Amino acid sequence: MDIYLVEAIINGILLGGVLALLALGLNLIFGVVDVVWIAYAEMVMVGMYVIYWLHAYYGWPLPLACLVAVIGVGLLGILVHLLIIQPILGSAPINQLLATGGLLFFLQSFATLLFGTDFRNIGLRMPIIEIGDIFISFSRLIAFCVALAGAVILYFFLSRTHIGTAIRAISQDREIMGLMGVDERKVYVITSAVGGSLAGLAACLLVLQYDVHPFIGLSFGPITFMICVLGGLGNMIGGFVAAFLMSQIISVGGYYFSIELSYVFAFLFFIVLMFIRPQGILAK
Amino acid sequence: MHPTKRGFMKVAAGGLLAASVAALPFAVMAQDKPIRIGVLYDLSGPLAAAGSVPGSIGTQIAIDLVNEKGGILGKHKIEVVAADAQSKADVAINEAERLINQEKVDILLGVFSSAHAVPIAAKIDAQKRVFWITIAIASAVVKDKNLQYTFRAQVHSDQFGDASTQFIQENAKTKLGMDPKDVKVAIIYEDGPYGTGVAASNETGAKARGLNIVLKEGYSANSPDLSSLVTKLKRARPDVILHTGYNPDITLFLRQSRESGLRFKALIGHGAGYGQIDKLVEAFGKDVDHFFNVDPVAAQLLDPKTLAPGLGDLTKVMVERYKAKTGAQEVPPHTSMGFNNTWILLDKVLPLAIQKHGGWDAEAIRKAALEIDIPVGGTIQGYGVKFHPPGHQMAGQNERSSPVVMQYIGGKTFIAWPAAIKTIDPILPLPASSPYALR
Repeated sequence: MDIYLVEAIINGILLGGVLALLALGLNLIFGVVDVVWIAYAEMVMVGMYVIYWLHAYYGWPLPLACLVAVIGVGLLGILVHLLIIQPILGSAPINQLLATGGLLFFLQSFATLLFGTDFRNIGLRMPIIEIGDIFISFSRLIAFCVALAGAVILYFFLSRTHIGTAIRAISQDREIMGLMGVDERKVYVITSAVGGSLAGLAACLLVLQYDVHPFIGLSFGPITFMICVLGGLGNMIGGFVAAFLMSQIISVGGYYFSIELSYVFAFLFFIVLMFIRPQGILAK
Repeated sequence: MHPTKRGFMKVAAGGLLAASVAALPFAVMAQDKPIRIGVLYDLSGPLAAAGSVPGSIGTQIAIDLVNEKGGILGKHKIEVVAADAQSKADVAINEAERLINQEKVDILLGVFSSAHAVPIAAKIDAQKRVFWITIAIASAVVKDKNLQYTFRAQVHSDQFGDASTQFIQENAKTKLGMDPKDVKVAIIYEDGPYGTGVAASNETGAKARGLNIVLKEGYSANSPDLSSLVTKLKRARPDVILHTGYNPDITLFLRQSRESGLRFKALIGHGAGYGQIDKLVEAFGKDVDHFFNVDPVAAQLLDPKTLAPGLGDLTKVMVERYKAKTGAQEVPPHTSMGFNNTWILLDKVLPLAIQKHGGWDAEAIRKAALEIDIPVGGTIQGYGVKFHPPGHQMAGQNERSSPVVMQYIGGKTFIAWPAAIKTIDPILPLPASSPYALR
């Protein structure tokens, strides 16, 4: 057995966890509110800055800083919904896309203005896990576990709570729910808060392994969006599966060929599947 | 004071000297007409922090110094029209066009990214306008292009890759106890023109010196994951890693390398992200100790005694002003590049163009640039200036530019190569204290 191949596969699984977590929130918002938050990765960036400043600058303990980031980006999610999404809910999808696209540039530029273009990191040195000849990234392992836990918690939230049921109901038929006495607007606000919090949670995990800078969204935004589309926009299990598929293509493809080629394969895979299953890999 | 008006009246009142009338308006106007320079750098986006902003500050300091003394030759002030390329090639091209055609600048100066410099040079040169490159290093910007109005005093990427491989060859026996042919090198690079250019020269240099290339691979600087590259490096077991990248990819690579247990004897970076030691130390602390970097030298690291008189003081002024402007402790090499390569234009080329060729139109600047002949030791970065003439494979490139190999130890920078100006006996292989050292 090629020990390095095993390492590449493990790395792929761990990367999949990070991507799956990113896709989770974006998918939730789309599934319920029917709007794509193109600026999702930029909201993650906001969370990373919150943690950086609280922890590295003001010396708050990391878990507390992370908690503030989760709550803070959750609140930002509500703001985004009330200020940007709600007024244009009835307009054409392209307008909604452009509006959240505008938010993307706003957040990027605002971060540049506030923090400059410097790369910042919390200077955390994670322990190294070494099993035989295989090394596992501790920060990635945490991210993976949290992504799994996040998915499970979200599942129970959606299936076992009253509001979760309402959220799912709205995602299935938004017209009829209003007639049945469900306050749509409240459900949207809660969904946006949960989606935002998930972005905050992703920020907590990314900040462990990546430098914060105003353009970090460039690294994650496009692939997150692609994963959501691949899984079927709004289909959370599909997104989860797609994240691991893509990460394996990138990781193992990168190992056998090159990182550049692995992305070619990933995009090719994406295009082909869009032809075969335009509704996503798990579409019924 | 209205010299223009007065000059005009003189001509009108005289009502003669018909022959000189054609030349006169220009000469008279030139009295107080500022020289407009379009300064284009990435002030936002990922490239800004990778060295573009320090470079732009260096350029600004050079212009300030000249303007404080009344301008070029004491009378022609420099008027800056600054623009932000936003780390995007399309924006860079549009801004360059705007500066040249709408702002009507006399000279376009700057550009951090080679990916921006390549298309801009082609466009601006075709319009017979002067493009004065300060930082972008890819050889491809000028190579085989026969550009007529584009000049670059800066080092070019073929020299980067050559310097690091020559450094390895010279130190293989004495430091690594290996024949150069047994030294395994891996070449990894971001896949834009900059990384690709350096990597190509790494390959050429390594082959010419008989080094054993075990891996050569590029990746996108925005890549969210480099672990498969790290895994491949572990399999290939290189002694020396030759790396060219920007900031986010370098920190990601070093972090993932550490977590994956990648080990090597030396790592040589090639400018950009590796040029910013304070950023690397902030992220990695002592982990980056003993890493090497190939770059045009940060002027303050040179011994002023090896330079022409007065240059040491000029460097001091640059360093003081940079620190005052930014509050930074370390002055990155990009500041020297932005400053020095602007200074060469302002202090040598423009005066010659005005005095000998009658002004600062593109033709005059071009002629002056081609006549400039500064010996080695004649600029604050140590190198001389003599531009390759039209028709040469590298037309417009300074043939006397040269990078150095530096070594970072304890957050300080030492010069390890070339031997003539080195300030430290290079330390390699990596000492056991490094998390990347072989065990």
